[in-house]
Amino acid sequence: MLKCGMSGSQVKVFGKAIQALSRISDELWLDPSEKGLALRSVNSCRSAYGCVLFSPVFFQHYQWSTSVKVNENDSTTSNLNCKLGMKSILPIFRCLNSLERNVEKCKIFTSSDLCKVVIQFFCRHGIRRTHNVCFQESQPLQVIFEKNMCSNMLIIQPRVLAEAVVLFTSSQEEVTLAVTPLSVCLKSSSDEPMDLTSSVYSEMFVGPDEFDFFQIGADTEITFCFKELKGMLTFSEATHAPIAIHFDFPGKPMALSIDDMLLEANFILATLADEPSRASSPPSLCLSQKQKRSDLMCSTNNNSKTGKNATSKAPGCILRKAAPKRLYPNETQTDIPALENCGSPIMKRVNEDISEVPESSVSNTEEGPGSSYLRQFSCVFFGAVSSDQRQHFNYPFDSLATASDSEEDMNNGSSSTF
Amino acid sequence: MKFRAKIVDAACLNHFTRVSATIAKLAKTCTLRISPQKLNFIVSDKAASGGVSMWCELEQENFFSEFQMEGVSAENNAIYLELLSENLSRALKTAQNARALKIKLTNKHFPCLTVSIELLSVSSSSRIVTHDIPVKVIPRKLWKDLQEPTVPVSDVSIYLPVLKTMKSIVEKMKNISNHLIIEANLSGELNLKIETELVCVTTHFKDLGNPQSDIVRNKIIHFDLLHEDVSLQYFIPAFS
Repeated sequence: MLKCGMSGSQVKVFGKAIQALSRISDELWLDPSEKGLALRSVNSCRSAYGCVLFSPVFFQHYQWSTSVKVNENDSTTSNLNCKLGMKSILPIFRCLNSLERNVEKCKIFTSSDLCKVVIQFFCRHGIRRTHNVCFQESQPLQVIFEKNMCSNMLIIQPRVLAEAVVLFTSSQEEVTLAVTPLSVCLKSSSDEPMDLTSSVYSEMFVGPDEFDFFQIGADTEITFCFKELKGMLTFSEATHAPIAIHFDFPGKPMALSIDDMLLEANFILATLADEPSRASSPPSLCLSQKQKRSDLMCSTNNNSKTGKNATSKAPGCILRKAAPKRLYPNETQTDIPALENCGSPIMKRVNEDISEVPESSVSNTEEGPGSSYLRQFSCVFFGAVSSDQRQHFNYPFDSLATASDSEEDMNNGSSSTF
Repeated sequence: MKFRAKIVDAACLNHFTRVSATIAKLAKTCTLRISPQKLNFIVSDKAASGGVSMWCELEQENFFSEFQMEGVSAENNAIYLELLSENLSRALKTAQNARALKIKLTNKHFPCLTVSIELLSVSSSSRIVTHDIPVKVIPRKLWKDLQEPTVPVSDVSIYLPVLKTMKSIVEKMKNISNHLIIEANLSGELNLKIETELVCVTTHFKDLGNPQSDIVRNKIIHFDLLHEDVSLQYFIPAFS
């Protein structure tokens, strides 16, 4: 049961978070806990994840109590498991500037037995606006990603990033961040051959002294989705806080985060992995395997829904003109050791799953006739959230990533580090 | 073929950006003609542009501090490039506070006009922005279609009224009808008229001067804009 209240200016920040997450997907999880209220969003191809956690001190008042359910095996405390459609919630937080001016207080509360979230605006002149939004019961997904273990980290003021972002047209799908110990370059990325009608190639070099923090392990170039970067950027401009970019090598996910006292925002984006010739790229699971994996993850998500199936969208969320490729994650070998160190049973699942995937790994160069190079996409691994830490030890082999049709499997997820 | 040019003066850069923005509004695709003394933006009267044609001329030394070009050959010392006007305009707009702007013709897998901008930034280091605008080199055999149009012998020529006024009137008329009737005489009178089934609206302008040279003709309307160091001629074919 959630009950919280905000002032007009806090509503603006809250609304901006929702707008930023709407760039990632059409669905939003409202996930309250004792740590605060988290808003989470994952895109359909699992290549982008956003989470904004508002700590209790952000709100004027914040109250969260779990309801205790007793089932046959043991009593478990349950999360809210509330998933909202962006179409329902985004219009409520439209016109943020006028909301900031007119709203004196905003209250959000839920009642899980009614599956409804109530958002009330107490505005000037005694006007009170109430929105009742129905939610779907669905366990939020969380990302396991140790951003602090990334070898490259940049902290930059949002203004500088905004000035770079303005170079690219809104039709630009992907951008590349290229770093050396001496410079940082943001450039447009496209692997299609150029012709008169292609978009302009643009790049901007920024010197290290424009960053608040600059730590580069080695020369790296990572490519990621532009739309998601813009989403994060508009949110950061509202919070006036610097953005930290954590990344490693191409293929490994990158994190864009904002951390200030009142809130913590994390956007984890998949990055394009290099061509197979690169030594450090994962010994490839071939494309057909990837598709299998992506199908696995897709069907998993289907099963975790009680309501309508929203991920039935085509997974090719970033479609290229040359050959449609899925920005679909697949496990990289290096992720596995990192996860193994946690000693989490999630690891066991991962290993299991990989062994389930057929042995025959066709080399990438045989795939994709017609495209001159193949690319792989790296994986962002997801685990379901459960408020009970002990649960996953009881069910070590449950997996989100198995093509299970039964719902019980899905409800026994394991918690994650995020 | 070679082309490289540099602008260092903020006012020149601003002016060039505005010209480019105007071209972008008038035509989606245009031809850039580079010759030793001039730069021209050309839209030729093909069906694709609705029969409209445009000829815009800039004296290069009014804009560029450095300008070097080498055309196709010594006798044909010009370069004709086709590009999307929006691309150039947008690239120039990012050069708001530039210390210097360089344009050159390059070939990076495809011929491009590379715009290289050195931006001033708050900190001491400058930022370098580069845009590669894809262009198509127009072969010499097609150059004859892209020459300066001869100003046709006209029946009436007249100075237009204050452009701002005319603009606001025409914009409002646009909502009512797609066709505009222009009437002018040698006594300095100009009428802008729209006629629909329901309504007929006419705006009368009086006491406009009639210059000596000829501008308006029955079949084609020729707008000639002369502004400081830029001249822009715009031809619109009439329906009747």
